[in-house]
Amino acid sequence: MASSVDPAAIPAAAADDELPWRRLSPLTLLLAVVRLGPQSVRMIPALAAIGIAGSWTYVVPAMVLFLLISLGFSWLAWARFRWRIGDDAIVIESGIWDRQHRTIPFDRIQDVSIEQGLIGRALDLAKVGFETGAATEGDDGDGGLDSISMDDAAMLRTTIRGWRALPTAAPANDGVAAAAPADADSDALLFHMTPRQLLVAGLFNFSLAALAVVGAASQWFDDLLPFEVFDPRDWMDLARQTGVDSWVDAHRWVAGFGAVAALLLVGFATGIVRTTVTNWDFRLSLGPRAFRRQRGLTTRTDVAIPLARIQAAIVATGFIRCRWGWHELRVQSLASDGQEERDHQLVPFAQLADIDAVLAPTGLSRPPEGLEWHVPPIMAQAWGGLLFAALASIGGAGALALGHWPGVAGLVLGGAALAVTAINIGKHRWADDGAVLYIWRGWFLPRLTILPFAHVQSADVQTGPVLRRLGCVAVTLGVPGDSNLASHGIDAVPVAQAFALRQRLLAMRTRRA
Amino acid sequence: MMEIAQSELPHPVPVAAESLLEPGLHPVDPAYVAVLRIVTLLNGVPLAIGATAADQLAICAVEGPVWLLTVAAWLLVVLAVTLLPSRRYARMGYALGADELRVARGYVFRTDTIVPFVRVQHIDVGQGPVERRYGLSHLVVHTSGTHNSTVTLPGLPSEQAAMMRDAIRQHIRSDFA
Repeated sequence: MASSVDPAAIPAAAADDELPWRRLSPLTLLLAVVRLGPQSVRMIPALAAIGIAGSWTYVVPAMVLFLLISLGFSWLAWARFRWRIGDDAIVIESGIWDRQHRTIPFDRIQDVSIEQGLIGRALDLAKVGFETGAATEGDDGDGGLDSISMDDAAMLRTTIRGWRALPTAAPANDGVAAAAPADADSDALLFHMTPRQLLVAGLFNFSLAALAVVGAASQWFDDLLPFEVFDPRDWMDLARQTGVDSWVDAHRWVAGFGAVAALLLVGFATGIVRTTVTNWDFRLSLGPRAFRRQRGLTTRTDVAIPLARIQAAIVATGFIRCRWGWHELRVQSLASDGQEERDHQLVPFAQLADIDAVLAPTGLSRPPEGLEWHVPPIMAQAWGGLLFAALASIGGAGALALGHWPGVAGLVLGGAALAVTAINIGKHRWADDGAVLYIWRGWFLPRLTILPFAHVQSADVQTGPVLRRLGCVAVTLGVPGDSNLASHGIDAVPVAQAFALRQRLLAMRTRRA
Repeated sequence: MMEIAQSELPHPVPVAAESLLEPGLHPVDPAYVAVLRIVTLLNGVPLAIGATAADQLAICAVEGPVWLLTVAAWLLVVLAVTLLPSRRYARMGYALGADELRVARGYVFRTDTIVPFVRVQHIDVGQGPVERRYGLSHLVVHTSGTHNSTVTLPGLPSEQAAMMRDAIRQHIRSDFA
C-alpha cells in the first residue's frame, strides 16, 4: 500500500471535531405528522373492533393515544439522530435503543442525491441520500439524512464534490455514464442478429410454456367452455360422441405420433416467437466508452453499458446447443438497470468467435489454452446426489416390499438422481491465471464465469460437516452488481489450495480502486 | 503503518483458555458470552411461550400428544442459553491485518471472511441495549455488491470498535494516493 499518511494521524482522526454535531431539521417532526396520515389507516380495523365491541367512547381516546405514541417515537428518533461532517467523512448516529454510528468516507460517495417532496418544498427541507455502491443503502432508510434544510443539503453536496475534485489521482472512469448518448453512426457495430440466426436461436429455445398459458387461460374461461379442459372424462365423452375414439383405437400409432408432433410444433413455435419478439434486430455496438445494445420487436430497448462498470462476464450455453457451438454472453455490471434484467445480455446466441470479438473491448477473454483446471473432489460434488438417491431408493424399495406399487417411483427417482450426479461430476471446475478466475459450472446449462481478481470485494472461506471430512472448503466471493447466472464461488477446494487462492485474489486489490 | 495502529488497540483479553481459534485470530471480548446469553433468552422465551400456548390449545384440540412440543421448546431454549453462547464465543475470532479485516465464526458451518480495507464503502459501529450494559459494540463493514456485502464483527469493547473503525477509515482515505 502506497500510503503516505503519517502514523500519528490515526489518533488525530478519531478526534477531528472540526465541525459540531448537527441535528435533522426540527421541521422533520412536521413531516412525521404528515406521514402519520397513511400510517393511521392501519389503526382503522382496531378502532372498528373497539367500536363494534360497543365502546364507542374509547375510539377517540384510542386514536389520540396512538397519535401521541407515534409522535413520541418520532421525537425520540429525531432526538437520538445526529450527524456531522468530519474532515474526510460524513458521520451519522442514529437509533433509539439500537445505537448505530455510521461513517461514510467522502471518497466512497459516488453521488449525493437531494430529494424534495411537495411538503419538503413548502418547508424548504431536502432529503439527502448518499450513493456509495453498497447494497444496503436505502433499504433501511438510515443511509441518508431525512430531512435537513435545503441550504445545508446544498452545502453538503458542495463539500463532497469539492473533496472529489481534490485528489487528482482519482480514477477517471466515473464520467463514463455521461458519454453514453453519442450518435449511433459513430459506434462500431460488434454484433447483430440476422433473421436466420433468430430462427435458429428460436429453435433452441424450445419451450412448452405456451401450454401452461393455455392451461391458465382455460381456468379463466372455464365457464365459457362447454366442458372441463382438464377432466379426461369430458374428453372421452367428446371422443365417443364424435366417433374419434374408435378411430384412435384403430390407428393408435398414427394418433400417438400426431400428439407428439403437435407438442413439438407448439414448443418450437413458442421458442421462435419469443426469441423473435425480444431479440428482433439485435444490435450491439461499441461507443467511445460503452457498449450500446438495441433490440426488440414490440418494445425496442436501447441500453448503454459502460465498459468500466463491467465486473464479470458469463458465457452460457445448453447441453444440446453447445454441440453446435452456440453460446450466449452476459456481463455483470455495477450499474444494473431495473429489476428484471440484473445482468446484461450482450450476445444472445452466437458462435464463440463472435463472442470473443465482443469480449475483446472489455479486456476479458475466455480462458487461454494450457491453464491448469482444478476439479473439486468427486465426493464433494456427489454426496448430495448420492444421499438423495440412496434415500429415494430405500424408501421406494421399502414401499414395494410392503406391497405398495407406487414405490417404483422412488426407485426411478433414485436412479435418475444417480445418473444426474454421475453426469455432473467434473462439470464444475475452475482455473486462474493469476489475474482472472474462471469457473465452469453445470451440465444441463453449462456456464463459464470470467471474474477478474481486481473486482473481488470480499472473500469467504466456508466449511461444513461434510466438506470438513473431505479436507475441503467452499470459496465464495463478493462481487459488485448482480447476476442470475454468474457463480462467484467454488463448491469445494482443498484447504491449503483455497487459502492460497484467496491470498492471490486479494493481493490484486490495489490495481483498481 | 497499521501494525502501529494494531499495537495501540487495547487488547483487554488475554487469549482465553477455551479459545479454539487458529493462530493469528484474536478472540472477541468474553463479555460477549453474556450478551449472547441474554439476547438468546430474550428471543427464545417468547418463542417458547408461543410454542407452549400452541401446544396447550391446538394440540389439545386435535387430541395429539400434549406436552411434547412444550418440553421440546423449553429444552431447546435452555440449551441455547446455557451451552451455545460459550461455544459460539470460542469460535468467533478476528484479525485486523495491515490492509484487511478477517472475521471467522461458527464451527459446524464455519465461515472465514476477509475484506480488504480498500473495498470498504462505509462503516457502522452499532450498539444494542444489551451490548451497552456490557460496554460492547459491533462493527459492520459494508462493501459494494450483493453477496456478502456486509460483514459484522460483534463482541468488541466499544472503544476498540471505534479505534478499528478509524483505522479502516484512514485506509480508505489514503487509498487514492
